[in-house]
Amino acid sequence: MSLFEVMFTGVILFSIGIIGVISRKNIFVIYMSLELMLNAINLMFVSASRYFHSMNAQVISMMIIAISAAEAALFLSLVVLLYKRKGSLDADIFNKLAQHGDKS
Amino acid sequence: MEVIFVILSFFAIASALVMIYAKEPMTSALSFMVTLLSLAGLFALFSASFLFLVQIIVYAGAIITLVLLIIMFLNIQEDNLPKEPYKMRYMFISAIFVVPIDIAILKAVFVLPKNDMSIIADGFGSVKSLGMVLYKDWLLPFELISILLIVSLIGAIIFAKRKI
Repeated sequence: MSLFEVMFTGVILFSIGIIGVISRKNIFVIYMSLELMLNAINLMFVSASRYFHSMNAQVISMMIIAISAAEAALFLSLVVLLYKRKGSLDADIFNKLAQHGDKS
Repeated sequence: MEVIFVILSFFAIASALVMIYAKEPMTSALSFMVTLLSLAGLFALFSASFLFLVQIIVYAGAIITLVLLIIMFLNIQEDNLPKEPYKMRYMFISAIFVVPIDIAILKAVFVLPKNDMSIIADGFGSVKSLGMVLYKDWLLPFELISILLIVSLIGAIIFAKRKI
């Protein structure tokens, strides 16, 4: 097990996240793909922390976890807002939230 | 140890693929939970024992449970889901664009010298060593993240209110 194999896993997970964000329309899958990208970055940071024998990378990866928790709260409340107004999980409807926002 | 690494990364990649392919959001969330748990195992393999716990408690325990709760709360039917007839085509096209970037990154990593990656047991990655670095060198980012959490809390409450 070398750094290259771990980075290979991390890069594959990151690109699966990018592909999910680009190709899907379901807002939940887009959200989970974003989280997957953050997790792939976390994996790379942790392996680099072991490789260079330094704790700084683990601190950064803990901060990434905190940021993604903050992101989860905002994103999921936005999804609930979208679903209550439009009754759909299509991400393309999000650009209509601004136009009809004042009526309801 | 090599065997554990291969098994865990296989589970992570396979369930991530299931996650972006599945039609139902519930299937996606459950397979994403498998990805997160295998990533937690990988963290433990790189002697990050505190991050292993945080990953299980915060990600698999809180965030994905919140996602599952919201999926069940919204009561999603078949016709609420978006129509995605060209899903596979978009996946192939985006994969064509992503693969050269991956190769470039991996080429940069490949030239690094080999180093010992086995588990070390002198407290590296424990709560004490992480806390020492966090409160000595990273105090300002830590406080900024607490402000960020408060802002997102207020934002979520404002989104959830019907009228401001």
